[in-house]
Amino acid sequence: MPSVAELMDALPESGGELAGRPPGPLPELLEDWALRPVPVGAFRRLRVLGTLQAEVGAAYLFLWLRGWFKDAEENKRLLAETHWRSALRVLDSMSFLRGAAMKAGQMLANFPDIVPQAFVETLERLHFESPPMHWSLLKEMVHNELGHDPEDRFASLDKRAFAAASIGQVHRATLTTGEEVAVKIQYPGIARTIRQDIRNLFFFMLPARLSRDWESTKEQFEDLRIRLERETDYVLEAAMLQRVRSLFREDDGIVVPRVYPEYSTERVLTMDYLQGLTLDEFVATNPSQELRNQFARQILRAWYRMLYAGRLFYADIHPGNFLFLDDGRLGLIDFGFVLELDDTLWEQFRKIDRPQTTGRREDRLAAMKEWHGIGDDPADGERMRLIEQLCDWFWRCRYCGGEFDFGDEADFRRGVDLMLQIGRKRYSRGPACSLVIARQTFGIRSILYRLKAKIDVRPLAEEDIRLTGWDRSDYAFRD
Amino acid sequence: MRVTTETKAATRQRILEAAQSLFNRQGFDAATTRDIARAAQIAAGTLFNYFPTKESIAMCLVAEAHAQAVEHFQAGPAQDASEPLSLEEELFAHVAAGLRKLKPYRKYLTAVLDTSLSPLHSDQADGEPSLRVAHLEAVSQIVARHKRDAGPSTVALHLYWTLYTGVLVFWSKDASPRQEETLALLDQSLAMFVGWLSAPTNSTEPPERRG
Repeated sequence: MPSVAELMDALPESGGELAGRPPGPLPELLEDWALRPVPVGAFRRLRVLGTLQAEVGAAYLFLWLRGWFKDAEENKRLLAETHWRSALRVLDSMSFLRGAAMKAGQMLANFPDIVPQAFVETLERLHFESPPMHWSLLKEMVHNELGHDPEDRFASLDKRAFAAASIGQVHRATLTTGEEVAVKIQYPGIARTIRQDIRNLFFFMLPARLSRDWESTKEQFEDLRIRLERETDYVLEAAMLQRVRSLFREDDGIVVPRVYPEYSTERVLTMDYLQGLTLDEFVATNPSQELRNQFARQILRAWYRMLYAGRLFYADIHPGNFLFLDDGRLGLIDFGFVLELDDTLWEQFRKIDRPQTTGRREDRLAAMKEWHGIGDDPADGERMRLIEQLCDWFWRCRYCGGEFDFGDEADFRRGVDLMLQIGRKRYSRGPACSLVIARQTFGIRSILYRLKAKIDVRPLAEEDIRLTGWDRSDYAFRD
Repeated sequence: MRVTTETKAATRQRILEAAQSLFNRQGFDAATTRDIARAAQIAAGTLFNYFPTKESIAMCLVAEAHAQAVEHFQAGPAQDASEPLSLEEELFAHVAAGLRKLKPYRKYLTAVLDTSLSPLHSDQADGEPSLRVAHLEAVSQIVARHKRDAGPSTVALHLYWTLYTGVLVFWSKDASPRQEETLALLDQSLAMFVGWLSAPTNSTEPPERRG
């Protein structure tokens, strides 16, 4: 078990900031908190998940939250810390923390070069961890939700879960009509608990409004709340699965599981079972460059298709979303949080997509100023500089054309550093979906990095952009 | 007129059926013994020859449903030998089977809980089939099977019963969809009970004297 200091060192945002801070009540509190086993209270069995990942996740979550009010004056900070202590107590008792910690863990898993390899591996396994619900409980849940015992409803249902979902678990099953399916089942009552806990947490986080970027922060918190709520409603997820599925054709080589509505409810989701390798398993087979490239193209194809044809953001991209099938197809799973772009957001997105892909710096700067609400204030210079660099890092592979080496470590690290600097400096102002877009783009990039893909992105993107009907006649691609 | 055993049993059954239907329709509190007697087509006074109180009728309905559940549970499909259930799982299955049968009576379960199901209630108080005795017997058997010894002590059973009635109270008031929160509470209560059972108990040996 790593010490707290090691844990902190491993966290992306630790930097020198924590070390330079005089010891005060808050770090002690954090230390005490991080040292304890998974803070899930009465959910004794959930501790099978082990403690490391939850500790990392919790500590990460805490640092993320704490950064929100670092600009406050000392007395206000003290007041805020008192509130935070209460907030921590609430957080401590939160039964859904496993879910939150897991999410944080998934984000961490996208930073392979920052956290030690052992951490990444532990975190990776979070997507496929052991079951916290035993068979008798599961049976009652199936009976409750589907109106029959599992043996009467399914030809067979595996007693052991093959994957952990953030607030439930997934079991393999066979339908009476013969289809092989995956059945995702939620822990009873957890959805309501999450809603209640989030309300409590938000109340205690009010002191964070001292921070200059509170409004954006509030929106981001709202984003987290909506995301957790959505992830608890499998009816919404099923609808999203069906919608995404309709976006792909057979020759795209991309599979989205079919949903079986008559076997699905708010708490149970039954869909096609896909047999495939995870990213880690795939990379471990030492695949050829050609095969890596092929899967990388499919991952991008899936992303662009959802974005340009479906107006959907696969908002929480992590390696667990993709399955590498034996027949060369890519499986897309886990649609817990997909953000839909309404007309306003779509228009905003059109406005940045175009200037970012022309490759002209002046286009890019103008679009960014509008998007992030940055004026000509010289104080915004640093913010502008960092954001511009990050945008360039994100979009370079698009506007340059030609083969792009996603496995270039120095380049990847540059992106990571930019993300961290922006996060640390609290430059979060901007439309609510900024964070989601950044997270998604970054998630994709880190997956391509791990695939060490070398591909030309532009033709792929352009093919799907055509589906938007946007006028792109004056694009001057920079080669 | 001589009242035969058969007639008696039939009348008793009629009272129970009438009561169940009235409880469901009007609620336990609103239904009076007079209503029940009328629905069962007997004189109000006659009803008291069978049941001293409205609560005892409810108790009888609950106990019978529970007895069916226990019977059903014990006669249930043999366990999968390759994957035997843990103690916790088996207890869970036992209670869950009972809840399924008790479901029609859920809302007026508290009336019964105040009396016959209360840990304060004595099992010998009346001649009705005791839910508590039947339930605890089944629990003893399950625990004995897993612990491979004489089974749980009186204290353990009392502790179990306190948790179980706690779950029932929660269940009767549970407003969550399909009472899913009861499942969570039951799961955690049993985890607690089994954890306590398997924890090493404090030694009862007197401390060694020094000097």
